[in-house]
Amino acid sequence: MKRFIIAFFAAYIFLFVWSWLLNGVVLKDVYAETPNLWRTQSEMMALFHWIILGQALVVFSFVMIYATGFAGGGGIAGIRLGLLLEIAAIGMRLGFYAVQPIPGKLILYGSISGIIEMVIVGAMVGRIYKPASARKP
Amino acid sequence: MNWKKFFFAFLAAFVFLFVFGFLWYATLMHDAHREVPTLLRPEADLKSYFGWLAVGHLVMAFFFTVLCARCIPTGGAGAGATLGILVGLVYAGPHLISFAVQPLTFKILFGWIAGAVIQFTIAGAIVGAIYKPAAANIMYVKERLR
Repeated sequence: MKRFIIAFFAAYIFLFVWSWLLNGVVLKDVYAETPNLWRTQSEMMALFHWIILGQALVVFSFVMIYATGFAGGGGIAGIRLGLLLEIAAIGMRLGFYAVQPIPGKLILYGSISGIIEMVIVGAMVGRIYKPASARKP
Repeated sequence: MNWKKFFFAFLAAFVFLFVFGFLWYATLMHDAHREVPTLLRPEADLKSYFGWLAVGHLVMAFFFTVLCARCIPTGGAGAGATLGILVGLVYAGPHLISFAVQPLTFKILFGWIAGAVIQFTIAGAIVGAIYKPAAANIMYVKERLR
């Protein structure tokens, strides 16, 4: 349980910082090209807790899946899980692209960064979380 | 990997994800989506983007099936459904984030979250029920310890 919590917090902090750097800094100008698709800056700040909750849900579910089906495999198993989940998410993103007027380059950048993000999250969770039976006394 | 069963499981998952998506998001939530028309492509444009929707569902179904096969190697609808709930929650997270950055309504947010969880829970149960590893590939704990 202790390692579960540590893995959760480590991955959550990484995801939070990564998302802020990517969406708030690197892709800021790309988002600005389609202002009608996004809330205003002040609205986003007022709803910021939903971002925190959403990221926490992603990381919590990720660690749960790792703990139930991949635990003991280490960083490689975590990376594998991250890749599987993210490539399936790219499929979902393509579905959104089909129905929402999101620029194609945002889908592309989001998918590339998503793969990097989930590989790192997977490696972190895999390195930190160990099932009780795999730990040395 | 039992490729024959994997193929059938993948096909069933794809058909289910696609049909459920059409019923839930395009039919049941149609009016809710039309409350925010700026977020959606005009209905006339949707046909020309249909290919992306189909490819997206193929990718999603294939990698979800791989995930089920790796995560629950002995299969089973219950284990598949449990994994599906967790996968649905992984994808519900970005919907919460979308709500904070896009002008979505609460109705759309809850519809998307409920849709993701129900969709992947049932898809997981389907894959778990169909996919079973080839008997020769099952290794029990006792055998491994010898």
